Amino acid sequence: MSDPLIIEAADLRKDYGHVEALRGLNLQVPVGSIFGFLGRNGAGKTTTIKVLLGMARPTSGRVRVFDLPADVPEQSVHIRRRTGFVSEEKDLYDSMTVEEIVRFTAAFYPRWRADLEQRYARKFELPPDRKVKALSRGMRTKLALLLALCRGADLLVLDEPTSGLDPAVAEEVLQALVAHVAGEGLTVFFSSHQIAEVDQIADRVAIVDHGRAVAGGLLEDLREGYRRIQLVFDGEAPAPVFQSPGIVRVGREGRVITVLTSSDADRVLDEARLLNPVSVDIVPVSLKEIFLETVTAED
Amino acid sequence: MLWYKSWLETRWRFLIGLALLMCSTAGVILIHPRLMALMPMADTIDPVGELGQRIKESVDLSRTYRGYVWSQLFRQNLTQMGTLFAILLGTGGLFSYSSGGAALFTLSLPASRNRVVGVRAAAGLAEWLVLAFVPSLLIPMLSPAVGEAYGVGDVLAHSLCLFVGGSVFFSLAFLLSTVFPDLWRPMLMACAVAVVLAIAGQAFREISRYGVFGVMSGEDYFRTGALPWLGLVVSVAATTVMLYASALNVARQDF
Repeated sequence: MSDPLIIEAADLRKDYGHVEALRGLNLQVPVGSIFGFLGRNGAGKTTTIKVLLGMARPTSGRVRVFDLPADVPEQSVHIRRRTGFVSEEKDLYDSMTVEEIVRFTAAFYPRWRADLEQRYARKFELPPDRKVKALSRGMRTKLALLLALCRGADLLVLDEPTSGLDPAVAEEVLQALVAHVAGEGLTVFFSSHQIAEVDQIADRVAIVDHGRAVAGGLLEDLREGYRRIQLVFDGEAPAPVFQSPGIVRVGREGRVITVLTSSDADRVLDEARLLNPVSVDIVPVSLKEIFLETVTAED
Repeated sequence: MLWYKSWLETRWRFLIGLALLMCSTAGVILIHPRLMALMPMADTIDPVGELGQRIKESVDLSRTYRGYVWSQLFRQNLTQMGTLFAILLGTGGLFSYSSGGAALFTLSLPASRNRVVGVRAAAGLAEWLVLAFVPSLLIPMLSPAVGEAYGVGDVLAHSLCLFVGGSVFFSLAFLLSTVFPDLWRPMLMACAVAVVLAIAGQAFREISRYGVFGVMSGEDYFRTGALPWLGLVVSVAATTVMLYASALNVARQDF
């Protein structure tokens, strides 16, 4: 039996005037997963998050969070009550102090975790009397994370949580996030274009490009499923015709044919051997390569 | 807590407005004896042209303390400055720079857009209510200091007119703030509308008492003792429509 879903989107479309930000996005995020939402800038990651949280209305399609329709304003309030969110720009009220914005945010959440608030305020060394506008980018990110983590949320939605941070602070933020998730057992949906970061903490991923999910699933399955098959011929490589499903890209250059497959590598191999190559190499593919191959295949 | 956020966003505009309106009111009252001392000189003014007629009208009104207070405060200072501060309190909203560019943070909270807009509008109107009533209440308090008396009932009636009329400008600025993300355009556009209405009021003086500035100054109440009910009702209706339009505009927007 498959895991219950906390986020489900089907054929989700969002147009901004003539710009198609989402073009039939399908997404399934199981409860308890750390879900990395990978994509290039402008791929539709932030738009997806805005639709999930009711900040933008989908043009068409179905989107549910906690099995509630995210496009219905009244239901969206219930979704946000159970969701912690950190925006890419770490939008916070500049005129408030750290202490004020913590108190302000806590007032909206009956399940606010005062114990976690104390712990993260100490861990992140946040000065309670300092104005938000006077915080460094790193401190601002930590404060935004504190405000999201202490809501007693069942779902964390993070939009590029480490963007603009130096590697040390980014690592600190990721470690805090992983430790929190391990302790609290909640679901995390985070967007990023930092492949290493997704590789480090996600157990599931979806790669989005041009407003569509072009690959996704358990990270482990992706790594297992994707294979690069290289065929070398003793003369000019023949024009390849593969019938197997799961072919992502086929390239031919001189004596070499390179096939990238997302599944059924054995079946592709069987087909490839019929072309009589002099050698066949099959190698695993990193997440970075999967990402680059899938998004460039879309261009 | 949304009330607190609205207060933080508008408190300086409100406090500056309160201070200026109170200073202006106190100044007009306390200077009254000196102006009265100059009154015999006013009789020598030859009322030539439009400007001369205006000066003569103002002088004639000032021969009574009630007329002086109305012409200097309710018709001029409080109405003009009140319009400006009603506009200032109405500008800045859910996604303006005054909210620190933190619209997404606000929208991530478990509060509906209607509630966010409603609280912001209510907080601004509450501040405008204070600006409309508190400085005026200085009049009966300070009048004995210059040997005069002014009824609290008159003050409340004029303040009500000021508040209701000024709420039209507040809601206009509020509506424009849901259209434009910056502070300046809503403010300048609302001020431009106010200036146009003021010029129109000067050009067509016979009907100016029925305009929004006529309502704000409470001219009908001053001259007849009756509240300008029609103007008040129309102002309330205009305010309600613009605030409702603001809520609809925010509800349909993508952020």
